[in-house]
Amino acid sequence: MTATTRRALIKGAAAATAMAAAPIPVSAQAEAIKFGILTPLTGAGGQDGPRMLKAIEAVINEVNKSGGVLGRRIETIVEDDQTNPEAAVRAARKLIEVNKVPVIMGTWASAVTSAVAPVCWESKTFLCTVSGADSITQLPHQGYIIRTQPTSKLQATAHAEFIAGMGKKKVAVIGIQAPFALSTKEHLDSVLKSKGAGVVAHVIYEKDKPTYRSEVDQAMRSEPDFLYLNGYAPDTVVLLRDLYKANINLPKFCQSYAVPQKTLDSIPPEVSAGTYTGQPSADIEGKAFNLTAARLGIAEPDSYEAQATDWASLVILTLAKAKEVTGTALRENVRKISQGAGAKVYSAVEGLQLMAQGQEINYEGASGPCDFTDIGDIQGCRFRYMEVVDGKLRFLRVV
Amino acid sequence: MQVTQLILNGLMSGTILAVPAIGLTAIFAVLRFTNFALASHMTIGAFAGFLANVWLAWPVVPSLLAAFVVAGLVGVLSDEFILKPFRAAGFITTAIGSIALTIALENCVRLVFGNELRGYDLPIRRDWLVGGLRVSPQQLENLAIAVAAMTLLFLFLFFTRSGRAMRAFADNPMLASIKGINADMVARLVSFVAMGLAGLGGMLIGLDTTIDPLVGFKSILSIFAAAVVGGLGSLPGAVVGALLVGVGEELSLLILSPAYRSAIGFLAILVVLTLRPRGILGARAY
Repeated sequence: MTATTRRALIKGAAAATAMAAAPIPVSAQAEAIKFGILTPLTGAGGQDGPRMLKAIEAVINEVNKSGGVLGRRIETIVEDDQTNPEAAVRAARKLIEVNKVPVIMGTWASAVTSAVAPVCWESKTFLCTVSGADSITQLPHQGYIIRTQPTSKLQATAHAEFIAGMGKKKVAVIGIQAPFALSTKEHLDSVLKSKGAGVVAHVIYEKDKPTYRSEVDQAMRSEPDFLYLNGYAPDTVVLLRDLYKANINLPKFCQSYAVPQKTLDSIPPEVSAGTYTGQPSADIEGKAFNLTAARLGIAEPDSYEAQATDWASLVILTLAKAKEVTGTALRENVRKISQGAGAKVYSAVEGLQLMAQGQEINYEGASGPCDFTDIGDIQGCRFRYMEVVDGKLRFLRVV
Repeated sequence: MQVTQLILNGLMSGTILAVPAIGLTAIFAVLRFTNFALASHMTIGAFAGFLANVWLAWPVVPSLLAAFVVAGLVGVLSDEFILKPFRAAGFITTAIGSIALTIALENCVRLVFGNELRGYDLPIRRDWLVGGLRVSPQQLENLAIAVAAMTLLFLFLFFTRSGRAMRAFADNPMLASIKGINADMVARLVSFVAMGLAGLGGMLIGLDTTIDPLVGFKSILSIFAAAVVGGLGSLPGAVVGALLVGVGEELSLLILSPAYRSAIGFLAILVVLTLRPRGILGARAY
């Protein structure tokens, strides 16, 4: 048996006083708000998923330190989608049915997002994604999806303008089998055609093959003057090597996620020579971007880290606005804090402070303004182009 | 000309597949289960070769030897301590256990090396044009290494005491035991050789591409298809099956989009098993 000593009583009283005096009380008793993170920690997206996770957690830590949201702490429940639709659906069900999360954020591959989306909207769970396939926001998702990544259409249009700007006329598209493959090719073709150029070959390949020699041969039969490689990192590396071996020195365009610097480091510089990359640009001159860089302790967060920062911030601010922790509340309220005439804020903590003073806010994100259309797409975006020189990515321009 | 090029491409990729396919079929011949842990042993071999080649700056051939030895040793340990206890419960349990094992081992590699793609320290050479056909010198070298490894294996099986013991055990385990062949020793030997070949195959694939923890997992279905088409349990069958799957996948490009390549391996399984249920060369081990 333990007796309550006077010393223990004094200690307890002191602790209670200290807690009461804390500036913003976070109830230790109140159950934490759970955010579901479903992102590729392995598979083709394994290079981006962990960084997105870090960016989300950084925002959450900052908010927790300043008192949480609705008087509650935020907690993450992390699942690996393995860049695999089947594994992703299983993990999403677990997050929704077992952990009862109001939101899932972090899906990367379009095939994964397409598979997970119906599970989310049917269970009234909000979904934040970076997948670009046009088809995703055209699903009957009833408003339960927002994506901060520009659609394939926006991307292909920008890329086609970049390629046409280089004076290229005959573009061969070699792309991975994915939901964005066909729409990207069609948008590229229509924009190129309007500029007197066009897509002369379209080869769709299967992922995870050790060589694409025959696919390269097939594309080259149309005698292109430019190559558009529309895949993920593991297969793009194989393609670049096969192109080099086949003595094909044409300039080529890749999505930036297909040739991050780490991947370039794994291949000899002569293989990656003549590669151009494009990505939705984080808002590199923006205030939110600088705050993100400081929060993550890195000089230049990329588009994925910026977008992940924005999801976490948007969801936290929306919960504060809605005063209710459900997927439906997120759906109903997200546009009330992401756009409109409210005071511009650049971080979740800043937004929470203004809202506590009763002000309306408009979150301006690290990836861009974060203004969403009715179907959950962003309304516009800038693009950042790089060129690979001596195996290193060199900045070209932001358009 | 296009067809010849496709056949050539298919033979080259088939030969590389044949190396781990022999491993898969050898384990089936002796231990009577399909060891899907082959995938992670390919990865382990590829990374052991990477350590030797990039960190220790060894040339390619000694690095391949390192891939063989490390994957072989891990194979012996994982069989001895993890899969052996499963075997009493039957074929299916052991095969499922091997899937669990492969995921666990693959994640061990991921824990140490992370997810990023890595390449060997090897200059990439341009293709040679021979009589209008493109031939990759790297693939020719891989072909030579694969053929040399297979030749050594067959010499071992036919001309050494241990090799003959393995064949005897594959042929008739009961009779082999009566003749005094130690079943445990044979199991260790076959695990070492088969997983060593898997490791070698993993590094051979990596030499021509890049490696990451999924390097084995990505190929295991084609390897399984090759072994089944050739006749699960038949070593020459694995080679024939691998070449057939390799050439078949390439020739399919004449009529199908490359997006359906993998379907060919499985179509081959359906056709062969319908016509010859024991595979092209049957299930006799040699």
